[in-house]
Amino acid sequence: MPVVTLYWDELERMVGASRERILGRLPMLGCDIERVEEEYIDVEFFPNRPDLYSVEGVARALRGFLDIEPGLKEYSVGEAEWKLEVKESVLAVRPRIVGCVVRNITITDEVIRSLMQIQEDLHWTIGRNRRKMAIGVHDLSKVHFPLRYEGVTADFSFVPLDFDEIMTVEEILSKHPKGVEYAFILEGKDRYPMIIDSRDEAISFPPVINAEKTRVTEKTTDLFIDVTGFDENVDKALNILAAMFHDRGGEVQRVEVVYPDRIERTPNLEPKEFYVEKEEIYGLLGFKLGDAEVVKALERMRYGVEVEGGTLKVKVPAYRADIMHPWDVIEDIVIGFGYDRIEPMYPPTNTVGMTHPWFETKDLVREIMLGIGFLEVVTFTLTNERVEYEYMKRDAKPWEDYIPLQHPLTAEHTILRTSILPSLLEVLSLNKHHPMPQRIFEVGDVVVGGQNRLRLSAAVTHPRANFSEIRSVVQALMKELALEWEVEESSDKAFITGRGADVIVKSRTVGSFGEIHPGVLERFQLGNPVVALELDLSAIFDTGELI
Amino acid sequence: MLSPIEVALIKALELGTEYSLEDAAKISGMSRDAVLKAAHMLKEKGFADVITRTEGSYFLTEEGRDYLRRGLPEERLYDAVRGGEDDIEELKEKFGREFGIALGWLRKKGIAEVDGKRIILKREYGFEERKILGKVERGESFPESFSETVLKEFLKRKLISFDERKRIFIKILKKPETELKEVIRDITPELLASGAWKEKEFLKYDVKVPSKTLYAAKYHPYERIVRECRKIFLEMGFTEIKGNFVQSSFWNFDALFQPQDHPARDMQDTFYLDRYAELGEYVEEVSQTHINGWKTGSTGWGGEWSLETAKKLVLRTHTTAITIHHLAKNPEPPVKAFCIDRVYRRESIDATHLPEFDQLEGVVLDRDVGFRHLLGLLKEFFMKMGFDEVRFRPGYFPYTEPSVEPEVFVEGLGWIELGGAGVFRKEVTEPLGIKGKVLAWGLGMGRLAMLRLGMKDLRHLYQPDLGWLRDVPAIMR
Repeated sequence: MPVVTLYWDELERMVGASRERILGRLPMLGCDIERVEEEYIDVEFFPNRPDLYSVEGVARALRGFLDIEPGLKEYSVGEAEWKLEVKESVLAVRPRIVGCVVRNITITDEVIRSLMQIQEDLHWTIGRNRRKMAIGVHDLSKVHFPLRYEGVTADFSFVPLDFDEIMTVEEILSKHPKGVEYAFILEGKDRYPMIIDSRDEAISFPPVINAEKTRVTEKTTDLFIDVTGFDENVDKALNILAAMFHDRGGEVQRVEVVYPDRIERTPNLEPKEFYVEKEEIYGLLGFKLGDAEVVKALERMRYGVEVEGGTLKVKVPAYRADIMHPWDVIEDIVIGFGYDRIEPMYPPTNTVGMTHPWFETKDLVREIMLGIGFLEVVTFTLTNERVEYEYMKRDAKPWEDYIPLQHPLTAEHTILRTSILPSLLEVLSLNKHHPMPQRIFEVGDVVVGGQNRLRLSAAVTHPRANFSEIRSVVQALMKELALEWEVEESSDKAFITGRGADVIVKSRTVGSFGEIHPGVLERFQLGNPVVALELDLSAIFDTGELI
Repeated sequence: MLSPIEVALIKALELGTEYSLEDAAKISGMSRDAVLKAAHMLKEKGFADVITRTEGSYFLTEEGRDYLRRGLPEERLYDAVRGGEDDIEELKEKFGREFGIALGWLRKKGIAEVDGKRIILKREYGFEERKILGKVERGESFPESFSETVLKEFLKRKLISFDERKRIFIKILKKPETELKEVIRDITPELLASGAWKEKEFLKYDVKVPSKTLYAAKYHPYERIVRECRKIFLEMGFTEIKGNFVQSSFWNFDALFQPQDHPARDMQDTFYLDRYAELGEYVEEVSQTHINGWKTGSTGWGGEWSLETAKKLVLRTHTTAITIHHLAKNPEPPVKAFCIDRVYRRESIDATHLPEFDQLEGVVLDRDVGFRHLLGLLKEFFMKMGFDEVRFRPGYFPYTEPSVEPEVFVEGLGWIELGGAGVFRKEVTEPLGIKGKVLAWGLGMGRLAMLRLGMKDLRHLYQPDLGWLRDVPAIMR
């Protein structure tokens, strides 16, 4: 989630409130304060509020929230003759473009800082790393209208930002740092999006890089902003930027975008209307709230609102990118009202509690194992083929038996375990320095063929550990579980031949026990004999329905 | 009742006499350690006094011990001189290195003198001072007047040294009136069968002496916290549910209205499997909701929705994949369900991040409940967990609206964020046919374990150190 740095002098000035007052209420607007310094604060805002990724946006929200300037803020857009033509050739690559012009803005360090921050955060959130949306900001005086947005071939060339030589699209994508970074977005395309001015000079190669010639400097007084992408996310980003410059005192002017089949005029800073039923509000809140309180709460959150009988006509500011559903508006009513003013009430929902057989079985077996004198351990279910099979001298097939991860992060964790015993041997291996004897067990999950199964495994190590010790444990366990069982010599290579046994219940093999083979002990670097058991409890008991 | 060593000591020593530890050991025939132990036990019972004194004593140096054995060098030279005088060169050869010392002392003590190449004895001498070395060796006392000059000389010659040492003395204050009987140490079946114990007394043990360490077989401390949480849920009337670790992206993400291009669905953060699930019901409703909001009153996310992406198998990233599926199967209110189980995130291991960990989650489905009831649930749940002070801040989760971040007050740490909660969006409940509102909350069990067990490193939970497991008490604060 984006962390926004807000400088106190700017924030206090723009909000018109002291830092104490701001700090006290800011968390209740919905954010996590990460760091408070003398000069600035770092605040993490939620991904649903990209309008708060700049000091202008935060100040706007706080002026409402602190009752300094509640209600809808009006945004005017001037009409002018800025034209941009969208060519057929770009529609298959990056079909949507919107833009606006901002006049009479003083470009200070503050403005540059804020602009760079919001641009980056918007690219990440709404833009999904520029895939869905990318922003270009230009010095208007260097841009010669009318513009055209078209799909060019790889040999098209211009001077990209931060370079002083002409480069082709192909060269930019393989050599320019930004080209290398964002080439993946255009992979496999034979046309490349390009905004070209009336002098046939490129001003931007979205979503990769602007042209050097329209670079914004401290001498810039007017801006042209382009936003490209695929859908209404471009409008969301443009509206946020336009509102931000409007708040800075700039005059926002419309750009006419001429598509082959339609004409759009952007930005549209008119609020959107949403109708919210009062009953819906009371229902979601769980209590009634007077009209005056609802209106006050909405105005605090900078909505416009009119009460029409049982319905509220809510005007949603154009910079709000997150309002998809009336419930989104209701959440803002709750925030505007104040989470701290709601009296919690235990729900009247009356139900009878019930345990799940999986955990009942688990608890019973754990109780028995504790009684026999074993210490419980908990281990990871992620493991790897080496420990799980190679070390254990066992064979297994991917998918049929175990589940391999598609993109493991480490060589240590590449599969989900099908047996708990290797995990216990790892535990013993890590604890060789602790006093003997060591008797440990785990009742936990394994995943076989994609389905969870409940298993028990226990292991004993000390200088005299032997087969009869673990057989006694199995005998005691099976007696407590009231199971009729038989034993066959096991072919499991993890045990010494002739010292491993399969446990058979109702003619099914449900587990095994025995003396671990010294070859296995060697691989786990164990210096004392180990005897162990493992039982598939899901094969013996009904461990219930799994979702 | 006295133990055998106490009896042995008290029998050996006389009433009222002060014995040094060394003397007491010699007299009783016991080791010094045994005497000391017995003496202290007797002192406890008022039978003896144990006195520690710091005394200055003389001790022989190595050289002193050597001279005690072989005689002082000047004494040996004196003995070697035949007939009152002898040849220096001859003697020098015989005595070697010690000749100078020996001659020096003979002259200094006025016993001999040198005349050219001859050494001449002037008078008879007994070398009584050598006896001093023997007395020092034996720790005996010697007459003050006698010692003065000789001790000074020997100290100067580094034949003896003076040290302050602690010495222990034992004095028997009284002897037991009754006869000292044979005592029983171990009780045996023979002893019980014969009834012989009736005539004897039992040896008293020192109950304060610790015995060998014994390690209890016990639950993993983390499982104890899980058990406590389960108990709270069951007390509150919730039904326990359980699901597979391997889930479809559909249930893990799509059913929860997580857009298909959401960063949380990225390969970077989620463990995907190279297999696809067959999806059953709800696919049409859910996909429409994503694209255009379906009948939920939402605008939806717009764009496209891929069935293939939804079918992709994943190691579940949250237990909500299970709770939402349970609600879809049980869409009629009232439902209260909970799940405490393992989830997976594609994260590198460090003290606070693990690729797998456990999550706790509870959901309430009912018609006439709302946000205020969610806060009521949270408050009750945390109170039962022992957090008396709970407060709420706005939060954000993609599938809830409104969302809340609960905070609890922990002594010494202040307000701690503990989990998240919210009301499931209509875009989540309606496509699945869930009737009513769903109040949901969840938290990472690791965070609870850190608070409860004072842990700083989550790795301890799943990579067990037996030392820690054996050490951490069963009782929790």
